Amino acid sequence: MLHQRLFCTKIYPTAVHHHRGSRHQNLWRIKQVTKSNLSETFEEIKTHISNSDFIAVSLQQTGAYSAPWQRVLPIDTDETAYLKSKRAAERFQVLQFAICPFSVKASKLIVHPYNFHLFPRDELKIAMPSYSFSCQSSYLASMAREGFDFNACIYDGISYLSRAQELAAADRIGPSSTSSFVVPSSSTNSVADSVFRESTKSRVRHWINACKDSNKKTEDVLISVLRKLVSGSEVYGSRPCLIISVCSERQVQLVLEMLKEFVDVVPILVPARGGGIQAVRAVLTSSEEDKNLLEKELQDMEEERNKRVRGFREVIDLISASQKPVVAHNSLSDFTFIYSKFLAPLPSTINEFRSSLLLVFPHVLDVNHLMKEIGPVEKVNNLPASISYLRRKFFAPIDMEVSHRAEADKVQIHGRNVLQISELFAKLCSVLKINPETFEEDYNHLSSAIQCHANKFNPSSTRFGDPIDEDVRIWNKNSRRINIDNLVFLWGLEGGISAGMLKALLHDSHEVFSKEFDVQMVDKNCAVIVFWTPGFSERFLRIMDSGEIFSESLKDMISKGLAAASYKTYKSVCKLGLWEVDLADALDKALEETERLTEAKSEEDLSVINWNNDKMINLDDL
Amino acid sequence: MKKYFLVRAMTEAQARNGTQLFPSNRSLCTSSNSSDLALKNVTKSNFEPALAELRSHVREADFVSIDLEMTGVTSAPWRESFEFDRSDIRYLKVKDSAEKFAVVQFGVCPFRWDSKNHSFIAHPHNFYIFPRQEIPGDGPSNEFSCQTTSLDFLAKYQFDFNACIYEGISYLSRSQEEEALTRLNSVYKDETSDSLSSLKAAADPQLVRMADILFAERMKIKIGEWRAGLLHNTNKESELQGSSIDINQNLQTTFFKLRPALVLNALTSRQLRLTELVTIKHFEDLAYVHVTGETSCPQPLVVYTESTEDRDLLMREIKDSRRKAAVTKIKAAVGFRHVIDLLSTERKLIVGHNCFLDMAHIYKKFIGPLPSAVEEYVLEVQKHFPYIVDTKVLLNSDSSFLHLVKKGSTSLSKAFTLLCPQIVSSSISSIVLADKPRIKVEVHVDNKRFSNWNSGAKHEAGYDAFMTGCVFAQACTDLGIDFSRHEPDVNLVDNEKLQKYINHLYLSWINGDIIDLRTGKFPADSLSSTNLKQRYPKILFSNIVILWDLPSKLRAREIKECMSKVFGVDSVTSVFHLDETAAFVQLSKQEFVSRLLELKDTLEQKYDPISVLHPLAKILEGGRTRAASYEIYKEICSSPISEFLFSDQAEAVGIEWRTRLLEPIVEVANQGDKISSFSQDRRETCPRNNATGPPSRCHFPSEELVDSFYPVQAQLSK
Repeated sequence: MLHQRLFCTKIYPTAVHHHRGSRHQNLWRIKQVTKSNLSETFEEIKTHISNSDFIAVSLQQTGAYSAPWQRVLPIDTDETAYLKSKRAAERFQVLQFAICPFSVKASKLIVHPYNFHLFPRDELKIAMPSYSFSCQSSYLASMAREGFDFNACIYDGISYLSRAQELAAADRIGPSSTSSFVVPSSSTNSVADSVFRESTKSRVRHWINACKDSNKKTEDVLISVLRKLVSGSEVYGSRPCLIISVCSERQVQLVLEMLKEFVDVVPILVPARGGGIQAVRAVLTSSEEDKNLLEKELQDMEEERNKRVRGFREVIDLISASQKPVVAHNSLSDFTFIYSKFLAPLPSTINEFRSSLLLVFPHVLDVNHLMKEIGPVEKVNNLPASISYLRRKFFAPIDMEVSHRAEADKVQIHGRNVLQISELFAKLCSVLKINPETFEEDYNHLSSAIQCHANKFNPSSTRFGDPIDEDVRIWNKNSRRINIDNLVFLWGLEGGISAGMLKALLHDSHEVFSKEFDVQMVDKNCAVIVFWTPGFSERFLRIMDSGEIFSESLKDMISKGLAAASYKTYKSVCKLGLWEVDLADALDKALEETERLTEAKSEEDLSVINWNNDKMINLDDL
Repeated sequence: MKKYFLVRAMTEAQARNGTQLFPSNRSLCTSSNSSDLALKNVTKSNFEPALAELRSHVREADFVSIDLEMTGVTSAPWRESFEFDRSDIRYLKVKDSAEKFAVVQFGVCPFRWDSKNHSFIAHPHNFYIFPRQEIPGDGPSNEFSCQTTSLDFLAKYQFDFNACIYEGISYLSRSQEEEALTRLNSVYKDETSDSLSSLKAAADPQLVRMADILFAERMKIKIGEWRAGLLHNTNKESELQGSSIDINQNLQTTFFKLRPALVLNALTSRQLRLTELVTIKHFEDLAYVHVTGETSCPQPLVVYTESTEDRDLLMREIKDSRRKAAVTKIKAAVGFRHVIDLLSTERKLIVGHNCFLDMAHIYKKFIGPLPSAVEEYVLEVQKHFPYIVDTKVLLNSDSSFLHLVKKGSTSLSKAFTLLCPQIVSSSISSIVLADKPRIKVEVHVDNKRFSNWNSGAKHEAGYDAFMTGCVFAQACTDLGIDFSRHEPDVNLVDNEKLQKYINHLYLSWINGDIIDLRTGKFPADSLSSTNLKQRYPKILFSNIVILWDLPSKLRAREIKECMSKVFGVDSVTSVFHLDETAAFVQLSKQEFVSRLLELKDTLEQKYDPISVLHPLAKILEGGRTRAASYEIYKEICSSPISEFLFSDQAEAVGIEWRTRLLEPIVEVANQGDKISSFSQDRRETCPRNNATGPPSRCHFPSEELVDSFYPVQAQLSK
């Protein structure tokens, strides 16, 4: 019945009509993947990934920010942008993950688009991958407008565990395989180790001999039972086996190493209930073929287990293992989500994030950055706009070839972003005269043109590889940049004030406002002021602190609660995670916190002085 | 657990009212019997008529039963209900749940006694609701949390998420509505006549591009020509008018509020802004107007006015109509709250099953933010809903029901099966249960009548509400309330046999604590089922220490052993694990709490053999272990943050830095007392509010002690 229902609800005809044009019809042959067709798709995408040069990814989340100021804004530095994205990635959920392995040959783009439907179902009853997650109703509503089937997603979405979660849950889901216990070659054995090793070794030898003996002669039933009891031998399937109890990981290593000496024996780990390994099961095989057979069986079981435990992460691991360049549109957001859902909890700084992400995905390309090479900044914010901009300004014909066979009248639009990313990338390569085909030879020697676009995360950053890029832009549409030292946050404003009104109020109210300055609203009662003259921001803050009055209107505003702070305070808001609804409240809290810290510091100084005083008195006494 | 029971199947009602989103073949998929189709599903497409109908049903009803389905219950494992939760903490947990999760389905079932047929008439309604953002203004109110297991459970019972998200009825709470109206007022208040000049100033620097300048110049000429043409016509009635329109394809004259107006066609938004600028700058008697909402097709116009006064009049008129449209929109966004307002204004008896959480959701979603203290909350609830009965309380308080339903099986579906077997299965009714009077319930859905309505679509808000109502009606009969002798003008809420149950709700089922909504108090014995109270010894909260960031895998038994070594064999009453990182320890004497906190402090400050060999060393191993009194637990629970692990939560709430912040307040309160001496006092007089951390994290012992004062302050100030 369930399947019947799903089948019925699969297509929402309304969703398609607003994507007009027959030209696009073939673009939307995107394979939709749920739990039911994951295993067949896995083999398919594996081949496509290994045969393609690039992999485009695009994620559909349940939300992005809880309050207007918590978006990544042009005034954000790399660090604050990262912290905002981190917050979103930890809070919201990915429901659709589109992946498109693609290659560009001359002007031909060969794509293999997939769209995976995810749901963080607790498949193993271990409160993982996600106890709960947030949704913004506007995000769900916009997915609904595209005809997204929430029933299919929640009933039949693919679950997953991140790498860190798999490790953390190892005691509850069992260790992955014997291969994870590798003995370091240089390790020296202690006396206890060798005693343990030798005793178990002789035990195994006796057991093997006994097994081989018992094959030869028929034995009294009672004796064979007794023998089994004494030797601890059991049967694993049709094969005899011996349980060797262990009480530490070190012993597991020793047993595994020792068992290598017996060619017929295959080790299997027995997980303990509370975690760790309680024993090693040594299974005796009858021949070389038998051994291979058993090993194959075990390997299949292992894969089955991995699929059950890792779920969609197997696909992420595939992409990572391929080491191919990954192309995204909004890489900071997408990769913070990927990192937190499929790898590990997000680190607290962007540099840590960057370096550990690059170990997993060595080449991340952002089409946004490539776009900036050729277009004005305001054109690159969304994919369709970028594509139409390119189409108008440049001649870069790209033929798209979709690998999936058309399934009759089934038009799938979910995950189409990933096709647009591939198309945009191919066009950009052609416009920027980058030859994407050279990727095939050696990924480590990426053509220099692309390399300098790789691994940039913050959309507002321009310089590559500069970890402390502290210049920000003020408007999305304006590329004029300024150092964050010249920015001052102003809050405690009257409701409904606009940037223009505030600017007019401030204008000429003091010398610092006599030169060029700009005002931009960050949210409904917090603004940022940009002083284009260096040093004026500090002066303004000093004036605000000292309470010096500069004009009647401003005096009035201050008495109504106007407050100001430097960019540093904004940074600590993000760092401390003060994600209040209003930035004003968050800034207030951050100020209180810094006050506390400085107070603590001054107290420390005080205590030092006191101590010196004591000493001086002592000296006088002498 | 009833929250987890929910069955979803699309019904005929839905398909019939159907939107194109749900193709007709959907109804083929629901493999259920015909009676299942009788549940009235309400979505935004049939909300208006359904509401009108419901109004009359509720007005005539003797009582209305309700049930809610949510996207989750607890936002973190440690937010679940524990026996170690004091009543104020339990309320905080309910509050957190109601604030974080969304209601996706709302069942309302009015019951009316039909004296002619000696039966009840029930009208079960199943509303799909979704907090869709209908009016502009982004706030956190449009964000909600989902508990993965809850969604999964809803899915198992085939809840239709698509119906909820696509077609769910949205709503505004009373405070949201008020806020939206206030915001609207402030927007329109500011726009006084001088707004034009400020707009001019703000818009001026727009003319930067060459193309803009050229365009503006062209528009100026065109508008000027058009205006000249108008003036010319009115004076001379010439034929020029027609030709001038023909020449300029995008200049077309129409009338707007009895004034001639120029239609601006096929212009981009930037061009429109430039046009507006030109109009303001160069033509005193022309007004740029962009009307949305009022007319069917919004169109930018340049309107000719006779004078500046006339222009201002026009602008005011437009503003007023715009404002009216915005108000209408806000009123329309109230949506599902009309149902709640209906229940509230009719002052009907509301019946729910274990419904304290349901009521909290109703308050949060449809009335306003939840007060921080339970006493305040219950008073507010009573203002809106003066009569509430919890069937779970009813069943557990009367020994005759307890005998029938057995201990612990007062779940809704079980109670329904046991109390109303005649409804569950019509065939057995007369034979088996002839000894007791059984109520009859007739179900009316969309003019159809069902005398034995056994829905296949069990455990769905609408059906759960129906079951709750049936259980209540039967329970009333068993209590000796005779509906057939019931005077039509005598209200059920005045029936003396019901009095001791009305407004008594389980604050938490796990402890069996019943709260009296009229007083906010916990009546000691009148209703609480005795067997529940006896199960647990009384908990002394002042004797509790909460430990977190414990060394991993430290068992409760081990904690008890360590403590016993320090304070004596019987010093530990009980140990309870909140989650893997935290535990409650109840000690036999209150003084042990302060002694433990002090001891922990001393042990952590020095690392000598004595502290290493000390029995507590096992608990303090790793140097991260934190300990605090019960009040800190309350502070942690009251935070809007919900981290998965309790230790992370405590850190995120900022037990350290945030409490330190209040130092200045402390100083003020103590009139410049020296911090050191003051804090020494605190140690003696109020040691139980001590949150102590390892020395590595608290560099200033004096400060640390000052921290501890904060919760006392907070308590006093309330």
